[in-house]
Amino acid sequence: MTVGKARSRSMSVRVRQACATFPFLPALVILAVLFILNGMFNANSVSFQGISGLFSTYLGLVFLAVGQTYVIYAGDIDLSAGAILSLVNVVIITLMNRYDGGVLSTLMIMSIGVFVGAACGLFNGLIIAGLRLQAIVASFASSIFFTGVALYVLPVAGMPAPMIYWQTYFGSIFGIPFVFFVLGVLLLLVFLLSRTQAILHLLTVGDDQQAAYQSGLPVTRIRIRGYVVCGVFASFAAFCLTGDTASGDPLVGSAMTLSSVAAAVLGGSMLSGGFGTALGSVFGALTIGLIGSLVYFVGTPASWQNLVQGLAILVALMVGILISRRT
Amino acid sequence: MPYLNHVAGFLMSKLVLDNVSKSYGPTRAFKNGDFALQSGEVHALMGTNGSGKSTLCKIIAGSVKPDTGSIFLNDCRVQINSPKDARRLGIGTFFQELSLAKNRSVAENIFISHLPLNNYVFIDKTALEMNAEYYIDMVRDVAGDDFTAKAVVGDLRADQQQLVEILKTIATEAQVLIFDEPTSALDRSQVERFFEILRKLKAQGRAIIFISHRMDEIFEISDQLTVIRDGAIVASRKREATTAQEVISLMVGEQTDLADPTSTSHDVSPISDGQFVVTAHDLTGDGFSEVSFEVRAGEILGFGGLHGQGQSAVLRALFGANAITRGQIQVAGDNYDGRTPRAAIRNGFAYVSGNRVRDGVIQGRSIFENTIPVHAFKKHMLLSTPSRLSRRAFEALNKLATKYHSLSSSIGSLSGGNQQKVVIARWLMDTPRVLLLDDPTKGIDLSAKADLFALIRELASEGLGIILYSSEDAELLNNSDRILVFNSGRAVRELSGENRTRFNLYDAAYEVAQ
Amino acid sequence: MPKMTKETMLGLAKQPVFVAIVLILALFAIGETMSPGFTSPDQIVRLLIVASLLGIVAAGQNLVILAGREGIDLSVGSVVSLAVIVAGNLMDGSNANIPQAVLLTICVGCLFGLFNGVGVTLLRIPPIVMTLGILGVIQGLLVVIRQGVPSGVAAPMLANFVSKPFLFGLPGILWLWAFLGLAMAFLLKRTVFGNRIYAIGSNENAAFMAGVPVKLVRIGVYVCSGFFAAVTGICLLGYSGASFANVGDQYMLTSIIAVVFGGTPLSGGKGEYTGTMLGAILLVILQSILTTINIDEFGRQIIFGGTLLVLMVFYGRGKGLRV
Repeated sequence: MTVGKARSRSMSVRVRQACATFPFLPALVILAVLFILNGMFNANSVSFQGISGLFSTYLGLVFLAVGQTYVIYAGDIDLSAGAILSLVNVVIITLMNRYDGGVLSTLMIMSIGVFVGAACGLFNGLIIAGLRLQAIVASFASSIFFTGVALYVLPVAGMPAPMIYWQTYFGSIFGIPFVFFVLGVLLLLVFLLSRTQAILHLLTVGDDQQAAYQSGLPVTRIRIRGYVVCGVFASFAAFCLTGDTASGDPLVGSAMTLSSVAAAVLGGSMLSGGFGTALGSVFGALTIGLIGSLVYFVGTPASWQNLVQGLAILVALMVGILISRRT
Repeated sequence: MPYLNHVAGFLMSKLVLDNVSKSYGPTRAFKNGDFALQSGEVHALMGTNGSGKSTLCKIIAGSVKPDTGSIFLNDCRVQINSPKDARRLGIGTFFQELSLAKNRSVAENIFISHLPLNNYVFIDKTALEMNAEYYIDMVRDVAGDDFTAKAVVGDLRADQQQLVEILKTIATEAQVLIFDEPTSALDRSQVERFFEILRKLKAQGRAIIFISHRMDEIFEISDQLTVIRDGAIVASRKREATTAQEVISLMVGEQTDLADPTSTSHDVSPISDGQFVVTAHDLTGDGFSEVSFEVRAGEILGFGGLHGQGQSAVLRALFGANAITRGQIQVAGDNYDGRTPRAAIRNGFAYVSGNRVRDGVIQGRSIFENTIPVHAFKKHMLLSTPSRLSRRAFEALNKLATKYHSLSSSIGSLSGGNQQKVVIARWLMDTPRVLLLDDPTKGIDLSAKADLFALIRELASEGLGIILYSSEDAELLNNSDRILVFNSGRAVRELSGENRTRFNLYDAAYEVAQ
Repeated sequence: MPKMTKETMLGLAKQPVFVAIVLILALFAIGETMSPGFTSPDQIVRLLIVASLLGIVAAGQNLVILAGREGIDLSVGSVVSLAVIVAGNLMDGSNANIPQAVLLTICVGCLFGLFNGVGVTLLRIPPIVMTLGILGVIQGLLVVIRQGVPSGVAAPMLANFVSKPFLFGLPGILWLWAFLGLAMAFLLKRTVFGNRIYAIGSNENAAFMAGVPVKLVRIGVYVCSGFFAAVTGICLLGYSGASFANVGDQYMLTSIIAVVFGGTPLSGGKGEYTGTMLGAILLVILQSILTTINIDEFGRQIIFGGTLLVLMVFYGRGKGLRV
């Protein structure tokens, strides 16, 4: 065996070990590459303004992907995450339009939004973990249910958000765009959560449900908790999306559900559960965002943009999985 | 309290099972279990595979729900509805199939059910690692260098994972400890360390249930022996008051006329003038290195040695299921370079694994569908018409005296031994050239074993080359013409003729072992 | 007549096919009470035509799910949409173009099935991810083909095949579906390929050790899925007469639910297509009742989602952790 070969093998071993310790590494690399490419094709896109624009558009997906990740930790999936987002979106918009747009009432309304998200998550958890239904089909059925409720709250899209709400979202504090603070809070939240017993239990359940049960863990309760956390994050996602779109739309989130799953996978989480990081999902969601803008910046004809974007996401998913694959 | 009358004999026991039973559909896994465990004793449960030992343990551990009966802990009737309840009541369990999260660290696994917390929410990582170190210290010098608090369990060897499960069980600090086959992957020094720990726990007054398939271990550590046969407790003896011979006859019951598992007689004569069917030279791969051997037509070559010394890995590699990094194989004189089971099958290999749940049985499908896949592949068939294939399938199944209702009934309706016979019959629809037997009798009853070995001998006399790995020494000694003893992935000695004795087998097995 | 014991009743109640039949009859009864004429022969034929479209695409989904290892095809809906457009453009309203249009459309469907299969097996991408990725690609492709202009018209013969009586008063598509039901039963029970699908779905490792070409079989089921999605697209074109945007999207998850309601668990390895056919009929009746009753869209969605959840309780509830 030649020295070069030996070195390349130890390299690949090292890469694999690094990916095992930091599952988000491939996503980070892909994200960095995309970032550089974006900058090459459009210098503005990597400016302060460009980045805050990217954040304000994709923070909703970032939050949704993080929430989805916690469900995926336990080997479950939530195909109703987007519908929960829509529901929270229309609930807070309707309430904000009914009551005046004061800061206090807005905060009240937002806490109602969190409550709605948590309630939806609890509902999912009870039917999927409690009644032992298959997560994919059951959460899809509950997404239809939630969409129905959202249509009841607001039958047609278009009710505007109060000015104070979206102005805050697009505004700055001490010259730093508000969305940066939101992202900061998210990262802090992700960090704190990663140190909790609840999240470790989710990962343990996803690793081997029977083993977790035999270790004396309350498996069903842990899975339900995962869905509740996902519901809460879906409501956070709705706050961001409401800030970005400045309007209510009962169907706005449905297209984001599958993207949130894709983002979690891009971020190195295993759909079978037990392995992954929420931070990776943040990178994964931003990767999806950067692919979109890159496709635009390289001058793809309008009608081809979706196709190129679809292909690029497919390739990114494949590359991410292939790099981080463990023997 | 009326129950006290009924269990008067068990009064003051730590744990009592009164009339506990469990059925899975029509099969009784456990019946009429009256069982008492005392504080400060190591109580061994003995029985053949599938006799109900694990079911009994899992009932106490809360992961199997008994159909009838009651459980008393410290003379109080208790309900154990989940493993969580068991933990709360002070029952800690080592599960045979391990209850570990493979992607989590050793420390996290040891404390997963009672993590040290800051402010009730955040995991106290320093405390977690410190606490873990305390338990890891118990086995540190026998566990290997990579056995650290931070190591990811999935990266550890099988014996190390078993040690993690042991530590996890001990870390419950429970008064009742159940160890279901905790030593199956451990080497001698690890077993000795484990026994030291057990003795300490015993001295602290813990009540310990211990299951092992190694008779010497049972007699070394236990105070009381309870024998289970066909799901019923048949006898309970003090260790001093019994012998291995008695225990074995209690375990197997009336079937003592079948092969005596302790005998080392050689009733087979080696055939020496057959053609080489398989020659392997210098085989190296994952779990074995520089293994060379040849098998003649009509010969049964035995692979011996302690558990997991590479015997299974070599067989799987020959069959193309594990990778070979170096070495040559010749089949009937021609170089053979098969890298997949399909290539191996095409070249006349057949492989029967003792792990039929993993490698053999296609659950939920019919006996017919479980019998024909190899034939369908060999004959490049497109249609699987029962009318055309039934006769051949019948013949193959009858060779093994398989008991079944009809070809179309589900394989799940058969006993473990008959399921294994179906899996073997799969390979006999077209006679192979080389039969690889990877501990084929694991978990099947004695009469099925007898049927199987009669057939194997018959197949050998028809000119097949057979390689047999068995974890039971008696099987190996009784049935193979030559034995290749493995140690740490290497074939260290060959025993043939008069040398095939249990003594030589163990002598070779421990030769280089640390 | 033998007396029904409690056990046999319970056993029957656990048979998904039996449950589906009972539910179908119950839904027909509900439909008839809510809008008289719901169970008229005409109406039933119309329902069955819609069900057959779902049933055909669910055949592919069924094979993919049977083959196990989290097998699922999220791209079927988009393949149906693509097939509608490709077939519509190639046919362009002329009977003479039918053969090449059908052939080419099916090739396109199989091609995407092949992509899915190769990604899932050779690159070992999880099926949800792979088919999700392909779904994104096809959606992009649809935008490119359409260029914002609706195009493509069904040939008259195809439209008649789907909606006009063909034999014994039933349209050709129902005969096609009935034939498909027989063909699938034959495929699963009497061919080596079918046995192998069950084998890899039930115990992939054992199948591998017994010489089953696991990867080839798995690629095969995804190709079948693409094939059936394309056939559905062609029939859907005949049903609607022209191509609309993303008409196939609805099939992505309904095809999975039809399979589940038909008694095939998502874990694979067991279940039959007969059940899936009933599952498709069940879903379509439910949807049809909801469109006939006079309520707002939100009410329809809530009832539909709620009913699906209630029905799921009858099917494939997972095993408890304690045995």
